[in-house]
Amino acid sequence: MSIALDQVTKRYQDQPVVNDVSIEVGEGEFFVLLGPSGSGKSTLLRAIAGLTGIDHGRISLHGRDVTHVRARDRGVGLVFQNYALFRHMTVADNIEFALRVRRMKRADRVARRKELLKLVALEGLDERLPGQLSGGQQQRVAVARALAHKPQVLLLDEPFGALDAKIREELRRTIRSVQRELGITTVLVTHDQEEAFALADTIGVMNHGRLLEVGHPHDLYAQPATRFVATFLGAANLLLARQSADGIRFGATPVNAEGAERIHAGREHEVVAVLRPEEVELAAAREQLSSNFIARGAVEEVAFTGALERLRVRLLDEPSAAQLLGSGSAAEARVEVTRTQPERRALPLRSGMQVALGARRLHVLPTPISSFLACAPTESEAEVLAREPLLESLSTRMKTRVALRAIDALAVAPVPIAGVAAIAAGDNAATTVEWLLEHGAAEVLVLPRQAPSPTRVYIHWTDEAVRRATLAVSASLLRHVSAEAVYLGIVPEGAQGTGRAAPMRQLLDARSEAQTVHNLEMRTELAIGETVTEITRNLSAGTAQMLVLGITDIRQAGTAYRSLLAAQPGWPVLIVYRPAESRIRPEIAA
Amino acid sequence: MKGPRREPNVIPGFGITLGFTTFFLCAIVLIPLAALVLKAGGMEWERFVGVITSPRALASYRLSFGASLLAASMNMIFGFAIAWTLVRYDFPGRKIIDALIDMPFALPTAVSGIALTAVFAGNGWIGQYLEPLGIQVAYTWIGITVALTLIGMPFVVRTVQPAIQEVQRDLEDAAETLGAGRFYVFRRIIVPTVLPALLTGFTLAFARAVGEYGSVIFIAGNMPMKTEITPLLIYIKLEEFDYVGAAALGVVMLSISFAMLLAINLLQVWGRKRMMVSR
Repeated sequence: MSIALDQVTKRYQDQPVVNDVSIEVGEGEFFVLLGPSGSGKSTLLRAIAGLTGIDHGRISLHGRDVTHVRARDRGVGLVFQNYALFRHMTVADNIEFALRVRRMKRADRVARRKELLKLVALEGLDERLPGQLSGGQQQRVAVARALAHKPQVLLLDEPFGALDAKIREELRRTIRSVQRELGITTVLVTHDQEEAFALADTIGVMNHGRLLEVGHPHDLYAQPATRFVATFLGAANLLLARQSADGIRFGATPVNAEGAERIHAGREHEVVAVLRPEEVELAAAREQLSSNFIARGAVEEVAFTGALERLRVRLLDEPSAAQLLGSGSAAEARVEVTRTQPERRALPLRSGMQVALGARRLHVLPTPISSFLACAPTESEAEVLAREPLLESLSTRMKTRVALRAIDALAVAPVPIAGVAAIAAGDNAATTVEWLLEHGAAEVLVLPRQAPSPTRVYIHWTDEAVRRATLAVSASLLRHVSAEAVYLGIVPEGAQGTGRAAPMRQLLDARSEAQTVHNLEMRTELAIGETVTEITRNLSAGTAQMLVLGITDIRQAGTAYRSLLAAQPGWPVLIVYRPAESRIRPEIAA
Repeated sequence: MKGPRREPNVIPGFGITLGFTTFFLCAIVLIPLAALVLKAGGMEWERFVGVITSPRALASYRLSFGASLLAASMNMIFGFAIAWTLVRYDFPGRKIIDALIDMPFALPTAVSGIALTAVFAGNGWIGQYLEPLGIQVAYTWIGITVALTLIGMPFVVRTVQPAIQEVQRDLEDAAETLGAGRFYVFRRIIVPTVLPALLTGFTLAFARAVGEYGSVIFIAGNMPMKTEITPLLIYIKLEEFDYVGAAALGVVMLSISFAMLLAINLLQVWGRKRMMVSR
């Protein structure tokens, strides 16, 4: 491996900006770190360069552990967004800087400089000052300067940020060809997905300090595993659908969707489907669609953008048809559609016209948390619950909705429960959890009043049968909060020999599964004693703690774990329930 | 109006503003200086040369300009250090120290002079420890330099501060990844970038020191040939009603100061051209 990061964590004022990131970049690979601003990608790049120390983890370059090696001894080349050229030096002096530091002979220096200037197509500009060059030329000089000492690794921090579109593309091509020619391992940081697609062999998407997914650009685009990657890499319409053994349904409309086989079968449950704007087919009537009908809609906006036409279509017949997850409230959600010119000519559309929407290709996200359902005795209490800061921030970050349900109404007419049910912590919470699990809920989030966003999430399950499901839900949750994950293994007091060995093995299994399947770095702790006592002790040990609890027996929630669901002192508890027979269920949920 | 129309500016009337500038410069700077030169021109050449090359006058030039250069140089070094500390580090009391820098601006110079004399005199707070070491500060050229350093300090700090703020961390980071050590970065990156501002600060501090009078006369002791600065010599001539002699010395000071300031300015222009053609 050319670059290997192992569980790298960097904190600023106790807030992790880079959270347990492990990456391996192969020899000669062009790796793009993609993420919105503040996702920790630049910090990670600076950590690789050695300009920022890390709090935890290891960094190796070409097999050499450089975690504690200073930047100047790491042998990396770094290119900055604002060029960072030495303005009082000529182009020649800038490029030769690293060579002078190394006391290289003048003739060799000049030869190397000429070679580099040729590489970046700036021959003859040796004696210019940076101030006399255009932005694009300055960045070329910066690239040449970063390559002068033949670094093993080239790092680029948003190198095109300050340039206009045309020059950006030209420079992009230069950098790509230079990288190919030298075969140098390269890491580029950007927030621009187009740039990432144009350059990357491999893309790693970061958000909130975590590395969410790594993969080839096409795979990430076609089969994202998380909502964030689906919406950040290109545009995406997220739809709530119901999945059962028969396939996918939008309301009453069955659809054959790709990716469906990746989700566990079993009871019908809610899933999130990704529909790319270019995969939406529009037709005047349902019968004229060549793909799966999903809903009827009214065109609201038509915009011409050159090669493509962009439309926004409001769905009609909600919620009997497809349910959209928009950025804002459900009422604002619109399906984004792009059409090519031939498509546009075949069916010219104006705003106000009614159309039938079809999905040429749907991808079902393997995420176990599709949406939230705030449950309370009355509708208004449910509304208050939905505004709980933790629930609100989770639903915003997950780009999903919080539906409301009055539990009384639910008791009268049991409508299937979709998504994660959320209830308030309290004396009745345990009973309510039991009731919800009996009526089809698979996950219940118990929320104390005004619970802060957790900084540490304890994970525990009572039976190995729910390990997969609990880990999947925990991983999904932890992608959206900046918290560390801790698996809590508990050995009963007085256990001897094999009674002790088994929990240890489970601990290691859990850790490796979290890492390989979910890319989740999870600490493990082993406690000896009674389960509830030990969980309570750990939760009480700090502030802003949360628990994810996997159970196989509905009664467990009501009896053994009742004290964990009380309003005081009160921790957010996410209960993951899978009946014990689900042992055989193939669950690869991510 | 003929010719191309001017772009409207925030302050109206190029004619008015230029006229005002010229008038102001004339009334405050040029006419008084011309009067000085005219006054000195009133004496015959031999006497003029005699006055300005008298051993007492020559000693005073050496002291005045020598101590000023030394003080400005010290300010350049320590002022840079102070400015660097204030810009780059955050520590409790930083704001207060930042405000204290300007104190020498506000203090009547005579007060600074008296305070310095009290501290550095043989029985003063600092003087009593220096005296046994054989270092006499008050009433020697060292004291004069100390006084001139004090009053010139804010000039350097205040001009260098913004320049240091402009040295991007990225530049240092870039140099570091290219293999440069700390001292190399300082010598090859930071100093060249800050140099123009440093020179400006030096110029201001020097100019101020040459013209300084109030704070020096208390600590200098004013012994002819030894600790007598040129401004004091001019004052003595005035007391003796030798107006023409005073004017002659004034003209010399004026010429030397002008020559030195011009030289430093040219050096700066050259440096700036070399450094950044367009910012």
